[in-house]
Amino acid sequence: MSLLVPFFLAGLAALSLPLLLHLVRRTPRGRQSFSSLMFLEPTPPQLTRRSRLDQVLLLLMRLGALGLATLAFARPFLRETASLSVSDLPGRRVALLVDRSASLQRAGAWTRLLELANTELDSLSPQDEVALYAFDDRLETVLGFDAAPGEGGRVPLLRSRLKELQPGWSETNLGSALSSLAAELEASGDAQQSTLEPQIVLLTDLTQGSRLEALEQFEWPARVRVLVRQVPVDPSTNAAPRVLQDAETAGLDKVRVRISNAGNSRQETFSLGWFDTQGRAIREPQVTAYVPPGQSRVISLAVPPAEAQAAGVQLTGDDHDFDNRYYNSPQPRRDVTVGWLGTATADDTNGPRYYLDLALTNDPTRNVRVTPLESASLVVPGNEPTWRLVVVTDAVTEEPAARLRQLAEAGAIVLAAPVDLAGAESLPRLLPGLESAAAAPPAKGGYLLLGEIDFTHPLFAPFANPPYSDFTKIHFWQSWKLALRAPGEGQASPTVSSPTVVARFDNGDPALLEERVGRGRILALGAGWTPRQSQLALSSKFVGLMGTLLDLALGETVSLPSLTTGQPLPLPTAAVESGCRVTTPRGTSEELPSGTSQFGGTQTPGIYTVTWGDQTVPIAVNLSDLESQTTPLEVEQLERRGVPLGSVPPQTERLDRLRQLRDQELESRQKLWRWLLVGALGLVILETWWAGRSERALVPAETPA
Amino acid sequence: MSGLGTTSPRGTNSGDTAAATELPGPRADRSRSIDPTTLMRIRNLQLRARTVVQGFLSGLHKSPYHGFSVEFTEYRQYTPGDDLRYLDWKLLARSDRMHLKRFEDETNLRCWLLVDQSQSMSFGTLGYSKAEYARTAAATLAYFLTLQRDAVGLITFDQQVREFLPARFRSGHLQRLLMALERSPGGESTDLSAPLEQVSRLARRRGLVVLLSDLLVPIAGLKNRLAWLRAMGHEVLILRVLDPAEITFSFKEESLFFDLESGRELWIDPVAARGGYRQRFEQHQAELTTVCRDLGIDLHDLPTSTPLDRALFDLLDARLRRTRAVARRQGTGSAATGGGAR
Repeated sequence: MSLLVPFFLAGLAALSLPLLLHLVRRTPRGRQSFSSLMFLEPTPPQLTRRSRLDQVLLLLMRLGALGLATLAFARPFLRETASLSVSDLPGRRVALLVDRSASLQRAGAWTRLLELANTELDSLSPQDEVALYAFDDRLETVLGFDAAPGEGGRVPLLRSRLKELQPGWSETNLGSALSSLAAELEASGDAQQSTLEPQIVLLTDLTQGSRLEALEQFEWPARVRVLVRQVPVDPSTNAAPRVLQDAETAGLDKVRVRISNAGNSRQETFSLGWFDTQGRAIREPQVTAYVPPGQSRVISLAVPPAEAQAAGVQLTGDDHDFDNRYYNSPQPRRDVTVGWLGTATADDTNGPRYYLDLALTNDPTRNVRVTPLESASLVVPGNEPTWRLVVVTDAVTEEPAARLRQLAEAGAIVLAAPVDLAGAESLPRLLPGLESAAAAPPAKGGYLLLGEIDFTHPLFAPFANPPYSDFTKIHFWQSWKLALRAPGEGQASPTVSSPTVVARFDNGDPALLEERVGRGRILALGAGWTPRQSQLALSSKFVGLMGTLLDLALGETVSLPSLTTGQPLPLPTAAVESGCRVTTPRGTSEELPSGTSQFGGTQTPGIYTVTWGDQTVPIAVNLSDLESQTTPLEVEQLERRGVPLGSVPPQTERLDRLRQLRDQELESRQKLWRWLLVGALGLVILETWWAGRSERALVPAETPA
Repeated sequence: MSGLGTTSPRGTNSGDTAAATELPGPRADRSRSIDPTTLMRIRNLQLRARTVVQGFLSGLHKSPYHGFSVEFTEYRQYTPGDDLRYLDWKLLARSDRMHLKRFEDETNLRCWLLVDQSQSMSFGTLGYSKAEYARTAAATLAYFLTLQRDAVGLITFDQQVREFLPARFRSGHLQRLLMALERSPGGESTDLSAPLEQVSRLARRRGLVVLLSDLLVPIAGLKNRLAWLRAMGHEVLILRVLDPAEITFSFKEESLFFDLESGRELWIDPVAARGGYRQRFEQHQAELTTVCRDLGIDLHDLPTSTPLDRALFDLLDARLRRTRAVARRQGTGSAATGGGAR
């Protein structure tokens, strides 16, 4: 017989109670009050009778009733099967996920993380499966579940791998790492039909810069639990500088630097200066900045003379150096010429050119110049077009139209935005797929809107996100009705493809047409952008659209002022074509064959040099801003994003629980306690009857005569 | 009167309940007496007293001893110089003769009831305690005396005086007295010296002092106080209230005996201790009897199993003998000691 709640057996101590009562009751019974003892002499009592128990049968009945009740509370049951063993239990699948992002470069943080990891390894039971993963901006398997355990066993192998790990310079993408690992654990469990309990042990400093947005979209597998072991970091000050590159300071002898101070910082005053290519600090110029904790300030810092060979700005005055340097490599502004085929002049505020100039000249990385063209000058020498972007606003005759198409075939972009009906009517010459173009009838409400936009098109892709995709504030008062030919109808040559509609007005008419011609494109706008015709030029979207158009024309999709570690480094177009050599800040260099558009080895912050032919371009790679946000994040933030926190209990504990569960089932089925209680009650009734009988027998004898 | 003479052998020191309850003589007719157990079931003390007294009087009317408690007053012709306070003005008005009412004041009895309320009195084996019995007896006496227009005073005591009511005859006095009796006793040990001293201090005029107590105290101290009272001219009647178990010590079970007054405990085997107890009890009783006889004090045992009119009888007995003694004294001109332990 086993007991479900053996704790209740402590109630057996109550058995001493009847025993005591049987001994104690003798004294009150033998007590007699009397008026005065003045005539009495003491008689010595007979001690032998004191230790004798009266009413042994009553005592036994009381003891029996109490014993049975106690046993009933202890819930006894009879075991039917053999006891459980460890082999009956599913094991644990523990994935150690080690954060090695740049924030762990802080003094002492990595050592503490390793200590935590070793503690976790110590707490593993022999039946557990364990793997080691590391992450910063991506997840890396250091030692997977399938890897051979090695000679000395799995845990020593893990310890040695752990020792080899070092914190990197990349940013923390905790959400992505967690979701990837959880999906992997779930998938491997499903694939192997495994009953192992998956468990992620996350070892991280969990700063506010840890990106968790990937968890928002991820449906977390229910079985996988995450145990967070947060690296304890003493409260300290951390601030980071960042040079802001914009058109305002471009070309001037000063830069604007933003200093961000972490929320848990204790200091507020920092000094900002420059360092040279050798990493030595440059004395002048230097400024002092006051930044309260949790805030950021933008200050101006003068640029040192060229002889000083400044490589970037550095901040002093905080406790952690890992993010105190910001590398700066100002790119020379490139001269770009945009061709203009139209009569409008640059100073005509009602003409289209005035607005085009304004939209293109504010580019921080390029010097854009809009040059009027003569149709005769539209010559394509060889394969390389002279003009990468040509804007046509007036009517074109057959010949210039053919030249423009040639230009487009060579790789240029031709944008036709007719300002008058004549210009619109000449569009079919430029776009043979267009049947006709005429003045559109007045719109219903007096204006038209862009009703349908293809945001997958490169021109509109930057506006694809909901905050930027609202084009309803741009009204068109004058538009051209562009009619497309039916497919296969009247096409002069099979090589000419039909133009695609990139955007439509809300009445269904095409607003922007595009035809891919050779390596280039021809775009036709169904309206003008001058304020007389529409609000397009006055809209902030116009600048973005023209900038994107220029990027398209020049073949540079993005022009990043600064890169962060871990991001692929986009190579200049010329370097892509000819092949180049990239030299890292550590001094190693890598030859890249032609056609390689990116360099992926940006592991450390610093100046990377791209060399091709006789050209050398320095590109700065910096630490992500997020890594400087070292204020600790609450673990509950993970829970709020659906990550189930907590640990899968160890095997012995789970075995105990299973055993307890099985015992409870057995006990509730057998219900022996009922019979015990019935027995106890029966004894109580018998005892009451017997005691009453004894009492009746005793009473007459005790009454004095 | 001859009937009184036959009362002398009744259970004074017999210590036997059965013997004590058998009352010889015409007023000991048990069929007329009320069983004390039944009487004690009446909660109201006044009702109890009235029941006893009425029963007693109904018996008394048939006896040849009626009227002796009312002292006959004689008239004396007024002579100049007599106190005019004693002049019978009504008689003067009616017959135009001047007479003095003589001895009217003296014939009114002043009685002091001294009731012991100590812890030893709370003992009882008959369903009521000795204190309850003594209170009822005192109430009965007070009621009876009030009916006779006598002044009754009350002192309850344990080791000190608890209640004190001066001897008076006025309306409402009996109620006050009964209320004082009904108050529960809070006493501990018995000390007779304080109440006796109190009586001797307050009762300047001669009267009757009735002491209701178990007298379970050493004799030596008691003797002086009683002698003092007697010396002041008081008649003293002691009604010794005892439980039958105190007289016979009829316990059977070996027990731890607990003294109600001192709290002392003794392990007693009653069978073995009974002989010694009764011997010492009787010796104490004999000493007490001797003292009372020497001092001319009436001592009557009043076991709690005895009907309560017995107390009345004892009182009247004491009064009768006092009257006889006075008569004898007046007749013979010699002082005679009255009463004695019976």
